[in-house]
Amino acid sequence: MILLSVLGPGIITANVDNDAGGIATYAIAGAQEGYGLLWALILITFNLAVIQEMAARMGVVTGQGLTDLIRERFGVKVTMVTLLLLIFANLTTTVAEFAGVAAAMELFGVSKYISVPAAALFVWFLVVRWNYKQVERILLIACLIYFTYVASGFMANPPWGEVMKRAVTPSIKFTPGYINLFIALIGTTITPWMQFYLQSAVADKGLSIEEYKYTKIDVYFGVFVTDFVAFFIIVATAATLFAHGIQIETAADAAMALEPLAGEYAKILFAIGLLNASVLGALVLPLSTAYAVTESLGWESGVSRTFKDAPQFMGLYTFFIFIGAAAIMIPGLPLMKIMLFSQTISGILLPVVLILMLKLINDRRIMGEFVNTPGRNIVAWSTAIVLMIATVMLVASPFFQ
Amino acid sequence: MPYIGELFVSELLKKPVLDKMGEDIGVLTDFILVPGDTFPKISALVVSRRKKVLVIDWEAVKLFNRHIISISIRESDLAPREMSEEEMLLCRDLLDKQIVDIDGAKVVRVNDLKVGEFHGHLCLMAADVGLRGLIRRIGLESQGERLSSFFGYKIPRNLISWNYLQSLKPKLTRLTLNIPRHKLSELHPADIAHILSQIPQKDRAALIDTLDVETAAETLEEMGTSDQASIIEELDAEHASDILEHMAPDEAADVLQDLPTDKANDLLQRMEKEGADEMEELLSHEEDTAGGLMTTEYLSLTKDLTVREAIDQVRLLSPNVETVYYIYILDKDEKLQGVLSLRDLIVSQQDNTLEEIMTHPVKTVRADADEKEVERIISKYRLIALPVVDEEGRLLGIITMDDILYRTLNHTKGKRG
Repeated sequence: MILLSVLGPGIITANVDNDAGGIATYAIAGAQEGYGLLWALILITFNLAVIQEMAARMGVVTGQGLTDLIRERFGVKVTMVTLLLLIFANLTTTVAEFAGVAAAMELFGVSKYISVPAAALFVWFLVVRWNYKQVERILLIACLIYFTYVASGFMANPPWGEVMKRAVTPSIKFTPGYINLFIALIGTTITPWMQFYLQSAVADKGLSIEEYKYTKIDVYFGVFVTDFVAFFIIVATAATLFAHGIQIETAADAAMALEPLAGEYAKILFAIGLLNASVLGALVLPLSTAYAVTESLGWESGVSRTFKDAPQFMGLYTFFIFIGAAAIMIPGLPLMKIMLFSQTISGILLPVVLILMLKLINDRRIMGEFVNTPGRNIVAWSTAIVLMIATVMLVASPFFQ
Repeated sequence: MPYIGELFVSELLKKPVLDKMGEDIGVLTDFILVPGDTFPKISALVVSRRKKVLVIDWEAVKLFNRHIISISIRESDLAPREMSEEEMLLCRDLLDKQIVDIDGAKVVRVNDLKVGEFHGHLCLMAADVGLRGLIRRIGLESQGERLSSFFGYKIPRNLISWNYLQSLKPKLTRLTLNIPRHKLSELHPADIAHILSQIPQKDRAALIDTLDVETAAETLEEMGTSDQASIIEELDAEHASDILEHMAPDEAADVLQDLPTDKANDLLQRMEKEGADEMEELLSHEEDTAGGLMTTEYLSLTKDLTVREAIDQVRLLSPNVETVYYIYILDKDEKLQGVLSLRDLIVSQQDNTLEEIMTHPVKTVRADADEKEVERIISKYRLIALPVVDEEGRLLGIITMDDILYRTLNHTKGKRG
């Protein structure tokens, strides 16, 4: 019973991680490299779990969001830089989510001029009209829809023996395509916004330290389910597109290409999954940004507040959704370039966030007895360093092509 | 005492400090506070050079302004020391932290702090909680001002004087104890509840601790059940049971229901016998039935009283009950005989007996009736309160309209998120 009331933040954060960009990356990884990146996904899952656990622990122990703590520990300047990067990265990612909505609905023959405004209104009303408990329930239900990808994976009828073998045997190919995908996989799975969202959502629940063991289950389970889904996306495209040597560039391509190989239902399931992921992302990213900014600057925040109570919170949320949706509707906007730029900003932000998190979680004044143990610190720092190297490469890679 | 005027902390931090010989001994990093008359006094400066921390008594400061800070002793006279958690430090404990703005009844964040001279001492005067403070912190105040005046906009000043602020950290309450002034406990309980909803869980109990029991109880009544329970869990058991006793019994029972069983039992044991019995009776009902919704505090009289005697009784009993609009007439077995409204009582002849003016039969529900049924009867007969009875017609408690209204509203919009 307690578990049920604690459940939510971890599962939701991890699932939203499989957003429009994530699905595209997994689909392309499967199509281009077959089962060759599955082992990397499992490694990344482990890293993600380590980092998410830290964010959740800080949320429970301090009852504050990550930007709160950054503000209180590092002052205004560091906060401002972090916020600016976060706002920019999240805003462009929100654009990507609406692009996902447009692509998914176009597979069903719906024009983006209908689907995007409809999705924008839907997510806007959800937060402006409803309270947090209701929104959280909707999000949890939406997480179940991700299992459509698992179904797609089975429909693709892969050689399971080989899949399992490849998943546990690390193998690196030193080709530019492989390395780029490897880094993109890390970049899309471990993102800065997740740490902010997870910590705020956990803090908002007001859990006591005795209940932390349940939060841990929530976090680990969420990470597992998320990458379980990602695993099946890779398997689905690897078994079909890779096997037939079909190259794709987007998630919508993947859905289209699946149809002749795995049947119409595989395509429909893939498209529904993409739509669901994009709508979820379009809701959670603006929400997460609104929380991060208002908390650290001392403005009122919370989903259950009205425009009058929390003007900055609701205003920021509305602004994000408006810009996100509008960017898709403007013809001729270089969306691909914006996405690439967004990835770069996230790439710069991630090491900053990781270092700040590690400093905070080892600060006894903040965490008391719940600071990282030496063992955890070794794991966390090596995770952070690997991620930093990867993101530096990710940021630099467009310049070498 | 050097002339000071008024200064913002952000303009002073990181400024070099010179000793008697003009040697640079480090940069200013913090201030030590002690309680003062109205405003906390600054008793010493904290100066750091790399890892070394020096504390300089205010008496030794010669020059103190935004251009130069110098002291009248030599560096060699000062011994480095560590700062302890017990000490109250201006920057470490206040700057960038959340604080309660009593006047605005909300939680704000301290962007900057203003110090100045008061009764011949350097004191903490005010907190800047506005945009201007933020811009000043990143060192762009004058540029920001030029930019905004170009657009014909003035960046608003948002300074709150220290005597309208209340810190959330228990150790800092010493800084405000002897000030006769606006206090948190003078706010409306609904405002205090709103403030509590904005601050971290661990600070909530501490803030509740600063309130008197009566206000604490009223504040908790304004919050959602799960928040109530988590606060009660944090408080020490004696204080928690006191607060529960002061709450409306139906609210208190809801809180107990949300707590772990052994914690709830412990709190029940600490309550006075009468209150504890009432609570156990309420707890024996399902939460969303009439029994779970009712409160056991109501006005009851016997039918042989005259109106005059009844009014005296109402006057006497009213402090202990939630609503006085209905007076229930009970026989010696507590069976419900009839009901009177306050209006009936006031407009009737003084010498009439209650039996003559009471209404009966009375609209009632049984303890196991569900919420919908209660809602239906209350709205159909436009009642302010609805009595709950057992099989034999004995009065168990009443459900007041506001409780039902609250629950109905809660289905559409939560108390907090």
